[in-house]
Amino acid sequence: MTTTKPVLGMRDAFFEALHPIVRADQNVIIISADNGAPMLDTFWQTLPDQCFSVGIAEQQMIGMACGMAFEGKKVYTYAIAPFITLRCYEQNKLDMCAMNLPVVNLGVGAGYAYDIMGPTHHTAEDIAVMRALPNLVMFSPADGVTAAALARISYECRSPQYIRFDRAGIPNLYHDREVEFTDGLALTRPGRNMCIIATGIMVHQALKASERLAREGLDVGVVDLFRLKPVNEDLLLQHLADVPRVVTLEEHRLPGGLGSMIAEIFVDRGLSTPLLRLGLPDVFVFDLGGREAIWENYGLDVETIVQRITRWTGR
Amino acid sequence: MQASVERLHDGTQEAYRHLAAKARWVRQTVLEMAVKAGSGHVSTAFSQTELLVALYYGGILRYDPQNPKWAGRDRFILSKGQGGIGLYPILADVGCFPLADLDNFTGRGSILGVHAEWGIPGVEILTGSLGHGLPMATGIAQVGLMEKKDWLVFCLLGDAELYEGSNWEAAFFAGHKGYPNLICIVDRNGQGTLGYTDRVAGPNDGPRLEPLDQKFAAFGFETRVIDGHSFAEIFEAFADVRHRTTRKPLVVIANTKKGKGASAIEDRRLWHYRVPSGEDLERTRAELRPGSPA
Repeated sequence: MTTTKPVLGMRDAFFEALHPIVRADQNVIIISADNGAPMLDTFWQTLPDQCFSVGIAEQQMIGMACGMAFEGKKVYTYAIAPFITLRCYEQNKLDMCAMNLPVVNLGVGAGYAYDIMGPTHHTAEDIAVMRALPNLVMFSPADGVTAAALARISYECRSPQYIRFDRAGIPNLYHDREVEFTDGLALTRPGRNMCIIATGIMVHQALKASERLAREGLDVGVVDLFRLKPVNEDLLLQHLADVPRVVTLEEHRLPGGLGSMIAEIFVDRGLSTPLLRLGLPDVFVFDLGGREAIWENYGLDVETIVQRITRWTGR
Repeated sequence: MQASVERLHDGTQEAYRHLAAKARWVRQTVLEMAVKAGSGHVSTAFSQTELLVALYYGGILRYDPQNPKWAGRDRFILSKGQGGIGLYPILADVGCFPLADLDNFTGRGSILGVHAEWGIPGVEILTGSLGHGLPMATGIAQVGLMEKKDWLVFCLLGDAELYEGSNWEAAFFAGHKGYPNLICIVDRNGQGTLGYTDRVAGPNDGPRLEPLDQKFAAFGFETRVIDGHSFAEIFEAFADVRHRTTRKPLVVIANTKKGKGASAIEDRRLWHYRVPSGEDLERTRAELRPGSPA
């Protein structure tokens, strides 16, 4: 298996890789809406003139970031994912995307990462709403290695961006293999019978489901789609070319999410490959007991994923 | 119409007369643009007219119409983006783009929309949704301060725009940072779309804004309250903006009247996004004609 013990969380892996970039370029600015990270403390200690805290004020954070970007700065903003997307959605839409400014929104807590904190802190619609914004580039890393690579990629990209991070405690997938992160996706595991396209933490669930399905004689591949916009369609379809079935798996509500995105690509490209979308139903989740409890209650645990897939294949 | 930039700030009656003539021309032009397009926020353009005329023709604002992106320019943010129709004639007159472009306001192929759009020469940022200008202005002011630039950031806000909470997020931050290079102007015309801001006489009237100067002062601003239709008061309020000694952002609250200069619409309800027609139009045209009483 490709997993090891949990290492530096993906957010901190990103900040660790970003630090030398910010140190080398004083035009790079970090603004936080009163949100911290162990690695971010280093920025405050070593680069105080490039760091700003606006308080719990996401609209101000994005507006100010865009003002600074308008004057030539490259600005990273940082808050919890639900607040950096929806609380300031119009600033994202008009100030950042319509003016096409080089601001990178870093949101921590994708999906149900803030599991016991309720719907206020869950982020199960960010893909849907953010991908609706023209000019935006969106990333959703599945591990710290990808997150670290995104530091350089996001710095070099001049578009408005949104990076959705999970919280700490996720094992690395790519610490011992080469991945071309600028491709926007990786064939994390090849498979002849089926391919699961997943993003973020669900890549790990997809790999576990793939292992289970192998025992039942299904050779299931996994694509880690870590750049959600724009999707590298050509490369994705190359990976899917000889696969008879495709599953999408996301810790996000189904309307407008990863599954919708793939279904749209299939329709637009005239592909009739059978597609199963696995994600969250169109409900708010108030269930407590932790992330795995939510997964079990809403069908994102490995057991249910395997059952849904085997039932779908008629086995 | 003159396509040159007058720099008049000698306080003489002659200079004021010249600026008053400019203001009259701006209102006339706005009216005809709106009539032709069948669209445009005439009344809000009329309340801000003297402020913009003083800024652009009176030597307050530093800019180069031949090079609207000149790095040393003052940044003028029209946060009340619906006032675009009142800014375009001035930008054209000073030379940012041809006067003929005004004839095609909102038309196919035009660069001039109802709301001030990013990309119009002389317009800095996209506005039209309220509460966006001031947060962006703080970011611009921050860069100006960090890089020791001598340009200023001017941000023209509508008073009813101040109901949008993002302004106060920005005011918090601006006051905290004490941006000396940030000059806010509130076009205090006392009206929003349907309601008044402080009369509370009808169902659409908003919560009271008063005491507005005290609100800004509490957020850390230096405040000045003036008659926004008096050139003398405007120039007095802006005379020292480049060498203020207090380390605070400045807000100039300019008391104005929505629809100023046109008795058919002045300070009346329901003219926010309405173009005069029929008798109202003829009366307004007559009142704006040179020679008629100001």
